[in-house]
Order: sequence, then C-alpha cells, then structure tokens
Amino acid sequence: MAIVKATKTPARSAPISESSILGWLQKNLFSSAFNSVLTVFTTYIIYLTVNGVYIWGFADATFVAETRRECYGNSLTGACWAGVIDWLDNIFYGRYPREEIWRINFGGILLAFWMAPLWIARAKGKVLVGASVVVFYPFLAGYLFSGGDKGLFMQVMISGAIVAFAINMANAIAGLLKQQSIVRLVIGSLGQTNAADKTQRNLLIALVAVGFGAAYLWQSSWTVEFVTWTKWGGLFLTLVISGIGIASALPGGIILALGRRSKLPVLRVLSTGFIEVFRSVPLITVLFMATTMFPLFMPEGFVLNKLVQVIIAVVLFNACYMAETVRAGLQAIPKGQFEGAHTIGLGYWGTMGLIIMPQALKHMIPNIVGSFIGLLKDTTLVSIIGLFDILGMLRSISKDVPWLGLHKEPLIFGAILFFIICFAMSKYSRHLEVKLSAGNNH
Amino acid sequence: MRPKEEFNFFQDQRVRSAFYQILTAGLVGWMVWYLITNTAHNLEVRGMNTGFSFINASAGFDTDFKLIEYKPGIGTYGDIFIIGALNTLLISFLSIIASTVLGFIIGVLRLSSNWLVSKVALAYVEIFRNIPLLIQIVFWYIGVFSLLPVVKKSLDLSFGAERVILNNRGLYFATPIPGDLFWMTLVTLAAAVIGAIIYRRRAHKRQDATGEQTNTLLPSLAAIIFLPLIVFFATGMPLEWDIPTLQGFNFAGGTSVPPAFLALLVALSIYHAAHIAESVRAGILSVNRGQNDAAMAIGLKPGKVMGLVIIPQAMPAIVPPLISNWMNTVKNSSLAIAIGYSDIVSLFMQTALNQAGYAVEMVGMTMAFYMFISLTISFFLNIYNKRVQLVER
Repeated sequence: MAIVKATKTPARSAPISESSILGWLQKNLFSSAFNSVLTVFTTYIIYLTVNGVYIWGFADATFVAETRRECYGNSLTGACWAGVIDWLDNIFYGRYPREEIWRINFGGILLAFWMAPLWIARAKGKVLVGASVVVFYPFLAGYLFSGGDKGLFMQVMISGAIVAFAINMANAIAGLLKQQSIVRLVIGSLGQTNAADKTQRNLLIALVAVGFGAAYLWQSSWTVEFVTWTKWGGLFLTLVISGIGIASALPGGIILALGRRSKLPVLRVLSTGFIEVFRSVPLITVLFMATTMFPLFMPEGFVLNKLVQVIIAVVLFNACYMAETVRAGLQAIPKGQFEGAHTIGLGYWGTMGLIIMPQALKHMIPNIVGSFIGLLKDTTLVSIIGLFDILGMLRSISKDVPWLGLHKEPLIFGAILFFIICFAMSKYSRHLEVKLSAGNNH
Repeated sequence: MRPKEEFNFFQDQRVRSAFYQILTAGLVGWMVWYLITNTAHNLEVRGMNTGFSFINASAGFDTDFKLIEYKPGIGTYGDIFIIGALNTLLISFLSIIASTVLGFIIGVLRLSSNWLVSKVALAYVEIFRNIPLLIQIVFWYIGVFSLLPVVKKSLDLSFGAERVILNNRGLYFATPIPGDLFWMTLVTLAAAVIGAIIYRRRAHKRQDATGEQTNTLLPSLAAIIFLPLIVFFATGMPLEWDIPTLQGFNFAGGTSVPPAFLALLVALSIYHAAHIAESVRAGILSVNRGQNDAAMAIGLKPGKVMGLVIIPQAMPAIVPPLISNWMNTVKNSSLAIAIGYSDIVSLFMQTALNQAGYAVEMVGMTMAFYMFISLTISFFLNIYNKRVQLVER
C-alpha cells in the first residue's frame, strides 16, 4: 500500500508578522522595549513639530492683508503669508515689466514643448532635438527676454529657431501618430520614397529653405520691447543663470576632462591646474573675482555688465566641477571600448565622439542632474553681489514699507520652493539611475 | 619582414602631438599675456596701487570678532588677513566636528530597524540637502538668532549660574583664568591619559596572549577624572572665572561670540550633517551583509557589531566623501559674508579691498589661502587612501 496523499496540502498562511498591520507594527516599531520607547518618543517629537508648524503656518496664519500691521491685528502668533502673496510676482519675475511677463512664460512653455519629445518614447531623432535646443533656443529665448532691435545675426538665429521648433513639433506628432520620422513621412507623402538619396536630400533642403524664408519674413514683421537686464530678477533670473550655467558647463567640462586625460603633457597640466584651482576655492570668491577683476582684464573702454560677469564666473566654476563628473563617466568605460574603436581604425576624435562619449554621457545623466541641482542652489549666491535673484527678492520684502521687517515667511517660502524643485529633480535623477543601470546589466 | 617605416611630416604622431601642445601653450600664453597687459594698463589708468606694501600699512577699521590682539589704526592689513583666516578656520573646525558627529548619528539612524526613526532621519536628510545653504544661513541669522531676547532679558543657559548667557547680541560665556599652580593639574591630567593608554595596551596584549578580558574603561576614566581633581584641590583650586557681567547696555568680561557666528555654525553643521549622513549610510551599506551575520553569530551585541565590525570596514568607503565634505565646509564658510561674520572673504576680500583697493593682490591672497587648505587636506586624504589600500584584502 502506497502512502500517498491524494489531496494537495493547503499552504500555511503567512506568519502574522508579515500579513497584518498589527504584525507590521510589532516588527517595525515595537520589536523591543527600547524600540517601543524610541517609537513613542519620536511620535511625540513629530507631533510637537507638526502641530507647531500647523498652528503657525495655517491655523493662526494670515493670508489676506494689506500690511504687516494688519497681520499682527489678525494674530500675533501666526505667519503673515499675505506679504509673500503680495510679492509673488516679484519673487517669480523680479522687476520685469508686468505687461511683458507673458514673454517669460511663453519662453518657458516653448522650452517645455521643445524638450517634450525627449521624454516621449515613440518620438524619433532625440539627439537632433537636444542639439536644436542647445543651438537655437538660447537665441530665441534671449531675444524674447531682452527684446529691442534684432541684428541680422539675431534675425537669422530666430528664424532658424522657428524652423527648428516647427520641424521638431511636426516630428513629434508624426512619431506619435504614425511612428515615423517627419522626414520619412514627408518624402512618403510626396511619393518620393524610392527616389535617389540625392533627390530626397535636395527636396528636404528646398523645403527647409522655403520654411526658413517664410520664418524670416514673418519674424521681421514684429519686435518686442527692450527690457534691460537690471529688471530681470526673481526665480526667472535664477533659472536663466543656472540654465546657461549648466548648458555651457557641459561642453566646457567635456573639453577640460579630455584635456586632463590627454596623453599630451602640456594639455594635461594646463587642464588639471585649471580644474584644481577652481575646485579648491569657494564660488563666492570666484564671483567677487569676476566683479572686481574682469573689468581690469578687459581692454580699456570695454564694459561687461554684471550679469554677464556673473554668468562667466558661474560657467567657469561649474565647467570645472562638470569636468570631474565627465572624467568619472569616462573612467567607467571599459578599456575594451577604446581598443575596439582603435581596431576598426578610428582616430582620437572618432573614438571619443562616436564610441566613448555617447556611452559615458548616458551614464552621466543622473550626475548631471545632480550638478544642476547643486548649481541651482548655488545660484542664490549671486544675491550677495547684488543681483536680485530669488533670494535677493525674498530679502527685499522686508524692506518694502508695508511689510517692513517681514523676514521669516519669505525665507520659508523660498525654502519650500527650492525643496520642491530640488527634491523632484533628485528623485527623477535617482529614477534615471535605476532605469539606466537596469538596461545595462550585461 | 618588417615594412619600412616612412617618415611623413604631416602624418607623424610625434610631430602632431608636439604641434598641438605648442599650439595650446601658445594660445594660453597669449591669453595670459593679453590679460596681464590689459590689467597693468587698467591699473595704471585708474591710478590704482600695486604691490604688497599694504600688508604693513595700518588698517583703519575694526571687526567685532577676532582671535588675536588688534586695534584699528595700529593693526595692519596683514593682521586683518590673519584675523580673517583664523576666523574661517575656527568656524570651519567647529562646524566640521559638529556636522561629523551629527552626520554619523543620523546616518546610523537612517539604517535603524525602527521604521519611524529611519523615516525621520530620511526626512532630515532630504529637507536639509535640498534647501540652499545660503537660505538656511540667512534664516538662522535673521529668523532665529536675531530674534532672541534683548540684553536686559538675556537667556541664562547655565540654569541661574550666569556663566553662559544668550541674547540677540550673541553668546557670552565665562572663561577660566589659570592661577599659579594650575600647571600641576594639567601635568597630572597628561600623566593620567598616558597611563590609561599604556594600561589599555597591556590589557590588549594580555587578551591576545591569554584570552582574558579586562575592563579598562572604568579604571581609566576614574584615573583621568579623579587624579587631576585631587591635585587641583590639593593645590588650592588655582582657577578663576572671568564671568560676563551686565555693564550698562551690554555684557563685559568672559568670552563672547556674535549671533552671526552662531547662525553660521548651526547652519553649516546641519547642512553638512545631512550630506555626511548619506555617505555614512552608503559606506555602511557597502559592507557585506555576511559580516553583520557573522558578528551576530559569534554573539556580539548590536552596538558592538556596529562599532567593532561594521564601521571599521565601512571607513575606507566613508572617509573620502567625508573629507570632501569637510573641504566643502571650509569653502561654504565663506557664505559668512551674507550675514556679516568676519571670515577671510568678508573681512579681507571685501572690507579691506574696499578700503585699500589692491584688488589683484587681495583676491589672489584669499584664493591662495583656500587653495592651501584644499591642497593640505587632499594631501592627507591621499596618504589615508594609500594606507587603506595596503591593508585591503
């Protein structure tokens, strides 16, 4: 007689510590007497903090008032958010003329749309999208923000930007709807799919030229009012400085990093020295150097405005930090990649540009986002040398007559704003890190 | 058969590399020369002074916080440089100690088995890392230390003894003044510490040889605390206190630090502790889990597992980011300028430069100071890294 059980033994239920809330609590919060005391104590501290913040920031706070005195009349123990709300436009846009603020918003929206295809998996030609942003957007945005007369160069760049943006949008839509690049789609709809490469290329060039001409004619029909840089301020200025900073620091960093790893001693020594000097001094000294020494460096009669000085300082400083990020990225590339590239006959620039950099840059994206967060936080330093960036604006609230002495609330508002931006970006960079490393487990 | 190598001037590797190097050196040299001639010309046109003679010229301004003897009008710009440098070093040193201790605690709490505690530590790290340091410094200064009670209503932090006093003008504390025979107490203390170290070494040797453990902590502590105390009382308590007392509108006597110092200290410590906590956590996580299990298996208590097994092995991973954090602390202490603490940047590169106007020299000296600190720190870091690499298995 075989001892065989005819029915399947039912699975035992999970232990109580894994399956119920009580079990979870017991395991994670009250596993020992010490842990229980710790939990209760921490809960109490959290309660005190949250309750205090709630009473000060919400329950007793004043959101609508004309002056600080009115806030006090309402409650002595609560926050006076009315001052911050009253200054909200200044905090975001500085002293930019109110009727022209749409230009800043428009520039921001334009950038968002321009870059959107980078996040759409089905869109084609992402490298070109990125390149077109870097090449054309700064000119378009620069003109939008500062305005005035367009020179010939500016007119050409703006027309180029308009054409690039239009092609980019059409390409993204084509990618989404037909899963084809706009080039294939246009060629196809003209019935030229089987034509010779040369014919296709000429056709495309002709189309782009026509588009460029139309854009040129259209953009020469309008101008926007001139707004001098001293009116720029608030979060807008912070983003402009850090945006230019990160966009120019990357190429600068790549050059410096390649120089530092170069086999040529002169290049190596110069790059290493440059990187180490800027990395060993604080940013504020570089900013001071920019404002006190740049005027001395320039030929007589040549005056740089303060914003340009600051931007140059920020770019130099960040290029050196970026160089170290890039160097770390390059070091992560296995030697076989270099050897493989040499084997198929590529020279130095071919190896770097086609084989090494694309791989290294992909690995560096999380770190680049990290540098951008750091740069964004560091940009608040420009308020020390007298630019009215977001911190400069937040601190001027306390000097405005109705809100005299209102220090704490603006600073806390700024802290919350920065926290939201930086935290979101750091979460995103961590997500990227996981995503990129997941595709790389070979 | 080896193919004959033909020398082609335009294709030769050596010619090319020499050409590129000469080209770069030439470009950089030209640019430096261009900037120098421009600067020299501009200095001349503006009638600005050059040279280092200002170091011995007397400076006409005072500063509220200094570690050396200095009188405005008599002290020189050289003194100002030293005051600024010492102030930077002092605030950096204290912030580094505070942030390292706090950072280690938070980093270990981040890995606590208690869910709530680890989440609170996480919240601390994320909040303070993601808010610009400058906003934090300004907040502590304007939002906390400037809002303390006025002098007449000072807070007494020493519970009525009036030895440590805090108000919106800063922190005042009593300073000990050693008497004639105080050196004997110090000598005893030093002897006790040396004795304790020898005792500990012997105990270790004994444990290695026989396996017997001796409790070294209690006897050592007793010797270090009580022996100097006995000598101190036997010599007739040769120590007096310079106590801060209210005179007119302010406290006099004792030692005082301005609110800007306190704000900077607190902000730097909290901000950098958040960064250090992350590297401590990463370092601890880098230690193989088996080490933890094995240490538990041989019966060590959780505290000893951390202290004797995990942390020592995590150190090689913790130290490099820790030291780069220390370097950042030194650099970030330059934000003192936003709240008026007299560090080297605000005192020398700002005030002195505005007064005397030796822009190139003063900016250069300040940067050289920071470079010297960074190079010194990275020198020691390299030594440490070499030592760690040698013992790596």
